[in-house]
Amino acid sequence: MTDQEKISLIEDTLEIEAGTLTPETELANIEEYDSMAKLSLIVLCDEEFGKKLTGEQIRAFKTVSDIITFLA
Amino acid sequence: MNFENKVIVICGASKGIGFNLAQTIDALGGTMVLHASSDEGIQKLKGTFEPNKHVFFQANFAEPTQLEQAWQEQIGSAQKVDGFVNCVGLRSRRPINLLKSELVLEVLSANFVSHLEMIRILTKKNFYNTGLSIVGISSIAAHSGGAGVTAYAASKAAMEAATRCLAKELHKKEIRLNTIVCGQIHTEAYDAFMETKTDSDQVLERQFMGLGKPQEVTDIILFLLGNQSRFITGASIPADGGYLV
Repeated sequence: MTDQEKISLIEDTLEIEAGTLTPETELANIEEYDSMAKLSLIVLCDEEFGKKLTGEQIRAFKTVSDIITFLA
Repeated sequence: MNFENKVIVICGASKGIGFNLAQTIDALGGTMVLHASSDEGIQKLKGTFEPNKHVFFQANFAEPTQLEQAWQEQIGSAQKVDGFVNCVGLRSRRPINLLKSELVLEVLSANFVSHLEMIRILTKKNFYNTGLSIVGISSIAAHSGGAGVTAYAASKAAMEAATRCLAKELHKKEIRLNTIVCGQIHTEAYDAFMETKTDSDQVLERQFMGLGKPQEVTDIILFLLGNQSRFITGASIPADGGYLV
C-alpha cells in the first residue's frame, strides 16, 4: 500500500474530506482528531493492518507521517 | 459462609471476577461447574481446581444457539444447581461509524442472549434446588453513557431489564435473580482497556473510592448467593466505588 493510499484510508477513518491531509499535517491541528477518531484509528490498525495500537503510541503521534510510519 | 453441598455454576470463570469467585467458593467447600469459552481458559481451570470435585464446561457464549446442546453433552442434569453466576463480559469500544451489526450481534449474544439461555436451561424442573440464586455481572456502562461503548452498555442494560422481569416471573419457583453493577475493577480486562485509552483523562475520577478489587465484587456475589439476601430479588446492586453516586 502506498503512502497516498494510507492517507486516504486515514481520511476515510477520521471522516475528513479527501485530499485534506498531507504527511506533514500536524494532528493537533485536525479538528476531527478527537478521542473517538483515535478509537477509530485503533480499529483501523487492528482490522486492516493486524497491528495493535496502544494509547501510549497514539499519544506519541505528532503528524500524519507518524501514523503512516506505524502502518508500514 | 458455608458452601458445602452447594453446586454453583460460574460462567466466565477463567479470568477476572469469575476466577476470583471460583477460588473463593472452592476454599469455602462448594462444588462448581466452571465455564470458559477458550481451550486456554479451560486448561487453566483444570490446572487450578480439583477435577474430581468440580466439573468443567466449555462453550462459546457468542453462539447462544449451541449452549443447550453443549450443556446436555457436558453436564446434563446430574447435579442440581443452587447458584448461577454469570461473569462473561465481551468488551467492545468503537465509534458508531465502525459499529457494524455483526459486532453488535456478537456482543449482545455473548453478554445477554447467552445469559438468558443459561437461565432457561438451569431453571427447568429437576435442574435446580429450591432457593436457586442467579447473579449477573453488569456494569456502570448500563447506567452512565460512555462514548464508544454502545454495544457493551446496551447488552448489560438488557441483562438488568431481563433480571427485573424474570425476578417476578420466577418468584413462584422460589428463584431469585439480581445483578451487580460493577465500576472499574482491577482485572485483565481493565488493564487491556487502559492500554487503549487515548486521552489522559482520569478514568477513576468519578469512582472516588478508587479502583475496585475482584474480591470486593466476590464478597457481594457470596451475599447474593446466600440465604442472608433472601429478601432481595430483581435488584441492581452497585459495586462501583461511588461511581454512580
